[in-house]
Amino acid sequence: MSMVSTPPALRTVNLVKIYQTGGLPVPAVRGVDLTVRPGEFVAVMGPSGSGKSTLVHMLGGLDTRTSGEIWVEGTRADTLGESAWALLRRQKIGFVFQFFNLVDNMTVADNVELPALLVGASPKHARERRDYLLGELGLSGKADAAPAQLSGGEQQRVALARALANQPQVLLADEPTGNLDSRNTKDVLRLLGEVHRQGQTIVLVTHDARVAGLADRVVTLLDGQIVDDGAVLSARRRPKSGAGDVVELRG
Amino acid sequence: MNPAEVRWIRADLRARRVQALLAVLAVTGIVTALITAATLLEDGTNPWRGLFERGNGAHVWIHTKDAPDPATLRTLNGVADLAGPYRSAPATLSQEGKKTPVALRETPAVPPSVGRPLMREGRWLDPRDPRGVVVERSFARALGLRPGGPFSVVGLNGATHTLTVAGTAESGDQGFYPEWAPGLVWTLPQTLAQVEPKVARSESVTGLRLADPDATALVAQRAITKLAGQVQRVSTWHEVRASMELDNRLLGVLLGLFGAAGLVAAVLAIANATGGRILSQRRDIATLKSLGFTRRQVVRMLVVEHGSLGLLGIALGVLCGRLITVYALAETVVVPLSSAPLLGIAFGTALVVLVAVWLPAWRGGRTPPLPAAAAPPRGHLSRAARLAFLVRLPPALVLGARDAFTRRLPALLTAFGLAIPMMMITIGLGYWATLDDFRDRPEQVGQAAALTVRPGMMTSEDAHRVALADPDVVAAFPGTEVDALVPGQTRTVRARALGTVSDPYPFAVVEGRLFRDRGEAVAGQGLLDLLNVRVGDRTRLTIGGTPLIVRIVGRVLEPEQDGEVLSVALDSLAPKDAVPPQFYGLVLREGADPGAVRSRLQGEALEVSQAVSLADRLSVIRVIIVALVVVLALIGLANLLTASALGLRDHALDLAVLKAMGLTPRQVMATLVTGTGLLVVLGVGAGAAAGALVSSGLIDLQGAASGIGAGIGRAPAPLTLLLAVLVAVGAALLVALIPARKAARARIPVTPR
Repeated sequence: MSMVSTPPALRTVNLVKIYQTGGLPVPAVRGVDLTVRPGEFVAVMGPSGSGKSTLVHMLGGLDTRTSGEIWVEGTRADTLGESAWALLRRQKIGFVFQFFNLVDNMTVADNVELPALLVGASPKHARERRDYLLGELGLSGKADAAPAQLSGGEQQRVALARALANQPQVLLADEPTGNLDSRNTKDVLRLLGEVHRQGQTIVLVTHDARVAGLADRVVTLLDGQIVDDGAVLSARRRPKSGAGDVVELRG
Repeated sequence: MNPAEVRWIRADLRARRVQALLAVLAVTGIVTALITAATLLEDGTNPWRGLFERGNGAHVWIHTKDAPDPATLRTLNGVADLAGPYRSAPATLSQEGKKTPVALRETPAVPPSVGRPLMREGRWLDPRDPRGVVVERSFARALGLRPGGPFSVVGLNGATHTLTVAGTAESGDQGFYPEWAPGLVWTLPQTLAQVEPKVARSESVTGLRLADPDATALVAQRAITKLAGQVQRVSTWHEVRASMELDNRLLGVLLGLFGAAGLVAAVLAIANATGGRILSQRRDIATLKSLGFTRRQVVRMLVVEHGSLGLLGIALGVLCGRLITVYALAETVVVPLSSAPLLGIAFGTALVVLVAVWLPAWRGGRTPPLPAAAAPPRGHLSRAARLAFLVRLPPALVLGARDAFTRRLPALLTAFGLAIPMMMITIGLGYWATLDDFRDRPEQVGQAAALTVRPGMMTSEDAHRVALADPDVVAAFPGTEVDALVPGQTRTVRARALGTVSDPYPFAVVEGRLFRDRGEAVAGQGLLDLLNVRVGDRTRLTIGGTPLIVRIVGRVLEPEQDGEVLSVALDSLAPKDAVPPQFYGLVLREGADPGAVRSRLQGEALEVSQAVSLADRLSVIRVIIVALVVVLALIGLANLLTASALGLRDHALDLAVLKAMGLTPRQVMATLVTGTGLLVVLGVGAGAAAGALVSSGLIDLQGAASGIGAGIGRAPAPLTLLLAVLVAVGAALLVALIPARKAARARIPVTPR
């Protein structure tokens, strides 16, 4: 899928996260080695508390790692400070959250333009990019609306537009459909699929097997460790094993 | 700044126009109050600026033997205009056998453009009435001269002339009597010529108005050189100003305190509003950070947003302060605040505002970039709430009580932010009560005698008899005021002999006791401070050349002369100073109208003056108290809005749960109002209690600093205080009710946090 010479989009080496809760160490991620190649669509699955959200937060620098290494496009990132991570996120990483996390006070247009402005794009360029993205995501008429006026699905599409504003190398999505009904879920997944077909690297956290079915590869976490890592050819032809079993067993 | 930051700030300001406006208004109010107070203070403690400005005063006055050539002086480099030359002659004002030196100065019938005396009472000189003269006001007051009253002056040739007081005037060209002697009387040239026909015995006075006041010394020197040998004396505006300064220390101390407290309250309000806003924005801030905003950018953004509101408030406040002093206080204040205190206030508040904004912004910047982690904490049932459940209080109360303390620090800040304004309002009410007391019970501040009569043309026995004959006069205490020289002081202090050992005047003794014997005295705080003595010490003074050793046995409240007055019994003085008494202090029947008694006694040809109540002298404080209460209420309101917005946001999800549990909208509303109301009651109660506790002590401290002495302070009346507390709590609950009502009625979606 990728050439040997290009570095992986993301790589972790023995990544560990231990939370201190009331003085007691609670391990959330216990030694994860994961490599995501450019253009790959990886779904991270696992039951609640398996550490999948923590993993993806660490990949984006939203949470600090306890030990281990994180490499973004061949550059070591786990040693970066908070500000350096922020700069890295601006250019290379887009985030989509379960609860959309749009800035309520800003219009849809402002929300989508914000990342472009942040990296120093001219207002004109930011506007053009926003027009393009909102058009692609079917939100052209909603540019001046406040986020609160939109439905959940529309809000998530705006969040997606915002995450893609700077054409990031990696799109990290943390349960992007977890708060949507099935129709909106389908919409958002279709968009993710389209983005992926255009070459976007995506790491998606979900506990929904149907969502994971869209990915090239499903990584299953249990108690902070990778228990299964397998390529998926097609959702329909996927053999009923591994990740699917775990999910279905756990409900 | 990054355009993304600008965009966010704009959006956020748009989203909370009302709070932003309130923040601006609170700062505006405080700065306006500070500037107005400082202007009044500057004007009050240094009347020279106003007088000089209004009278277009001369910077340098030159006294010469003969009249100098005006043209010569006018051509001097730096001189803009001239006053005079005027002829001036010494004379003696004779009043009931007491002789006071006075300077008569000729002045044109048309008030001059430079060095113009400012009329206070009566009218200016009129050529049709050559006997009418205008007396400098502080001199007229000291001698009890009033417009229309006659007095006689004796010229150097011994001839006595009777003149009448046409009016009194003030001037910024000469200090106040008695610091600046001899007293000044403006007369028409022909009047002066009559009193002092010999030109040789008079001098010439010329005022120079300078283009640049800073060049005073230089120009004065040039003038002296130019008028070689002619000059007898030169006075400059520096000396005049110095002699007028610090006229009323009490007022200054009061205003300073209010200003400082107002600033503290404003800082709390701003810190609270900013902190509350930032706290409620933690999720947005986390989102921004996940998009790639750095900590530094977040802090900068928050400081710029909230700081610019504060700075806008300061700019508006400076503008309002100026407008108020120019328009609303045009009568009292002529000269706007000089630039040093103005800049001090502007930059001081700016600094304070920026610090108050920076601290919460810094905390906001430390928000982790993980939006989910930034959710507000869950409340837990406090011990008090559990107790409330046990005694079966309504659920709304219990839940509200729980809500109030979910976030400890903001709860504390809110309560504190209400307590400080309430405390200041209570202290303000204490001042109000103190002023009322000054007015209603003047005997408690050493003003037992509402009227003072001077015998005038009568003998003092007759005057005493006539005064006592009035039905409203209860007692008449003979008295004399003399200047006393005290050891180690270059100036004199006022020594007042009033009442006798056997029949003492009812001084307001607050420490020690009243004199019971000859050789004992009581003094005001100002005098004790001046001489560095305490009650019980002996001191030696010289009165009219006669040494007098007295033991100070008590401290009295002394409203006159900044408290620098020593009071003794009349029989303690040497008979030559004591007999006959200069005046009688009249104590009136309770409820009698001093004005009516005064006009009756004046009808009997007595000279009567009415004591000026301290309350009237300090009446400007009342204006300031009212203005301050308004500003403080505004600050409290800003605090409250922050608190209720925060409460609402924190409990949006809980509300849905509560409704699901079956609480009616009314109960939900009650829960929300209780949450805010509890903090309000706590803050207002604590503030009022603290204010009531400290107010009289604080006023006493200031009384001591101002020379009147401790013992004047009054706490606000319990009923007034109760009313103020109820009004504050009631208004606060009403304010909290509106958003609560809206929230309770709204269909609350189960929103994630």
